[in-house]
Amino acid sequence: MSDFFNVYREHLPEWWPRLMDAARVTAEISSLGFVLALVLAAGLVAMHRSRFAALQVAARTVVEFLRAVPLLALLLALYFGLPAVGLTLSGYWAGVLGLGLQGAAYVAEVFRSGLDSIHRGQREAGLAAGMSPFQVFTAVVLPQALRVMLPPLVNCYVSLLKDSSLCALIATDELMLAARAMSSEYFLPLHIFVLVGLIYFAIAFPLSMFSRLLGRRLSRGRRALGTT
Amino acid sequence: MMLDALPSILTALLAGAVTAAQVAFGAALIAFGLGLALALVNVFTSVAVLRLAIAAYIEWMRNVPALAHLFLLYFGLASVGVRFSPKAAAIIGLGLVGAAVLCDVFSAGMRALHVGQREAALAVGLTPMQALRCVVLPQMLRLTLPSIGNYASQLIKDTSIASAIAAPEIMFYARSLVTSTFQTPLIYASAIALYASIVFPVSWMFNRLERRLGVGR
Repeated sequence: MSDFFNVYREHLPEWWPRLMDAARVTAEISSLGFVLALVLAAGLVAMHRSRFAALQVAARTVVEFLRAVPLLALLLALYFGLPAVGLTLSGYWAGVLGLGLQGAAYVAEVFRSGLDSIHRGQREAGLAAGMSPFQVFTAVVLPQALRVMLPPLVNCYVSLLKDSSLCALIATDELMLAARAMSSEYFLPLHIFVLVGLIYFAIAFPLSMFSRLLGRRLSRGRRALGTT
Repeated sequence: MMLDALPSILTALLAGAVTAAQVAFGAALIAFGLGLALALVNVFTSVAVLRLAIAAYIEWMRNVPALAHLFLLYFGLASVGVRFSPKAAAIIGLGLVGAAVLCDVFSAGMRALHVGQREAALAVGLTPMQALRCVVLPQMLRLTLPSIGNYASQLIKDTSIASAIAAPEIMFYARSLVTSTFQTPLIYASAIALYASIVFPVSWMFNRLERRLGVGR
């Protein structure tokens, strides 16, 4: 057992800087992907809630489609397939785009159920009080929906963070690719993958706990307000 | 013509779909069995250490990417002499991750049932085992059906990750076809369509089952 840790004592000084550089890329692509997912999802939800049936159907089709496709297939298609139609993306940006598209489907569900959780009377009361539909949305509906949506949104981010490991397969220099490269360099795959697992865990676990805490907090406030 | 290659592409991808189905079934079996066992211990034990150990297992499995688990099992364990075939590693890896997911689902499902259900079953003379089998589990399964459905479609998509450890499933064939035929967009489009044509019926089936069993009433 002590042999196991001696390997870390010996190699960690060389491994750590490389892994931290790679972890930064992991954080970047998952964060950029998440931002893209938020924007796309907002668009999808706006379409879904529009008056035009065609837009509603289109939004639902896109969401259902993106939910049914594995991220890996999406990433490979974006990275290797798009050049055939004249659009070449680096692994980094293909990764961000893939994560954004996949994330959009999940975030759209969160947005939709969050907005649905606000009683219709809230909106009607706002309109009756003379607010514009935009004011009603930003001042009445959204603040209340946000507290419902925040915990699952954090979970979406954690999912994207984990999913970003697949970008290794389209040659993005993120954690998992660094781990693969290092494990064939040092022939210590067990040590390296355990370490990389711990790095992912060190980022994802606090976020998951935060999401749970947030959920408990916000639902407690909700009950106290008597809105349910 | 480009589409001439389509039949041979589809044949290869369907061969991959068979492996994907085997991986999915194997992993689902482990996930369901182990997940249920852990959930039962989790809910009924009064030993705090056991609950802590299960919580640690769940958090580790759910906060580390599945790809890392597969690499650990396939490359990591091979370096200390424990060798799995790619397919076996994929089944075990996805199964262990799934067990953590389903343990969470089942635990929440059982806790959502009223304690009185079990007490009443015991009061009318059922043994604890009968109470579990005839009263608690059926209701718990009905209650958690939507989550099980989500897990099932997630699992089907996650089998694609097995290609990273060279298990010959859909994406594995897709990638090797690309290097031999260069019909890149056609191949990946077919692979995506194939996944969608597996995932849609499965989630449709679960939706139907939910409606039939009146979940969410």
